Amino acid sequence: MESAHSDALRAVVTRVTGEQWRAVADGREVGRGDASRRSDGRVFLSVDAWHGAVFDRLAEAMLAELPRPLHTLVDGTDHDTTARWERAGMAVRRREWLYRLPVGSRPDVVPPPPGVTLLPVGAAEQGPLQEAYSAIRAEIEATVGWAAMPVAMPPEPAGAPIDPSRYAVAAGPDRYEGLVRVVARRRHARIGLLAVRADRRRRGIGRALLADVLAGLHRDGIDTASADVDGSNAAATALCDGLGGRRVGSGLELVIR
Amino acid sequence: MRRASGGIEVEGTVVEALRNATFRVELANGHTVLAHISGKIRKNYIKIVLLDRVLVEISPYDLTRGRILFRYPATRAH
Repeated sequence: MESAHSDALRAVVTRVTGEQWRAVADGREVGRGDASRRSDGRVFLSVDAWHGAVFDRLAEAMLAELPRPLHTLVDGTDHDTTARWERAGMAVRRREWLYRLPVGSRPDVVPPPPGVTLLPVGAAEQGPLQEAYSAIRAEIEATVGWAAMPVAMPPEPAGAPIDPSRYAVAAGPDRYEGLVRVVARRRHARIGLLAVRADRRRRGIGRALLADVLAGLHRDGIDTASADVDGSNAAATALCDGLGGRRVGSGLELVIR
Repeated sequence: MRRASGGIEVEGTVVEALRNATFRVELANGHTVLAHISGKIRKNYIKIVLLDRVLVEISPYDLTRGRILFRYPATRAH
């Protein structure tokens, strides 16, 4: 079997396309790097290599050749990869928590405020949902920016219709006040964007909406649910903590500017 | 099974989630490997859960280790 160390010493790093790099030793690929642009404009890097020295050389080449800022994601417990990216010049920008949320009804959840009705996943109308999503997205872009959202929470593609089968909403008298994106796979559901219009926050709408979704998931045979939360978002972490959520993992976003 | 790039690529099933974004994956031949998530999977915020069918690239330097390159859709027929 080949020696990883000797391969690392001989590896030649080449940029094969605008977004891809390869490290090759004796005609065999021993590492690869990839850059891709998200729909919010941020460029994220990844490197896969069997040997740390190859990782370092690929990272060095990519950071030298691509315009900044550049981002990457590392598991929160992967100290080795984090240290490698930091040595390459990146710095930790933030931590995101992965919450495991209990599904089922909770006796201590207060109902939504008067005039607000909770519609389960799939019950929203396309037009008002599209309007609410667009308004909330514009509010986010105008304030903290979508880059403040968890990396696992990409915006819907620009101009694409919003699929009501993936959203539950809090409906007011004349518009939707809040929404939550839910994607179920097998017996697990991922809670995506949970947002309430800026002028309707701090009324318990988000908490009531999320609690209602978790109860509905239980009725639909879903065993577990999870949500990614920006560690600096005190309101979101408090909401997940308050609903009995448990932190089961984390991820780090690193950036070089 | 096919050989591509540096390692051998094989399909398997995730049978245990371990710490440090590492998973125990059972291969079709009954062997198990410890596999971590590839950078590309992580970058594309794809979550791996128990019983997922995945494509694993086995390390050419240690046949008990690998990296998860791809998660097959749950509805995929085998």
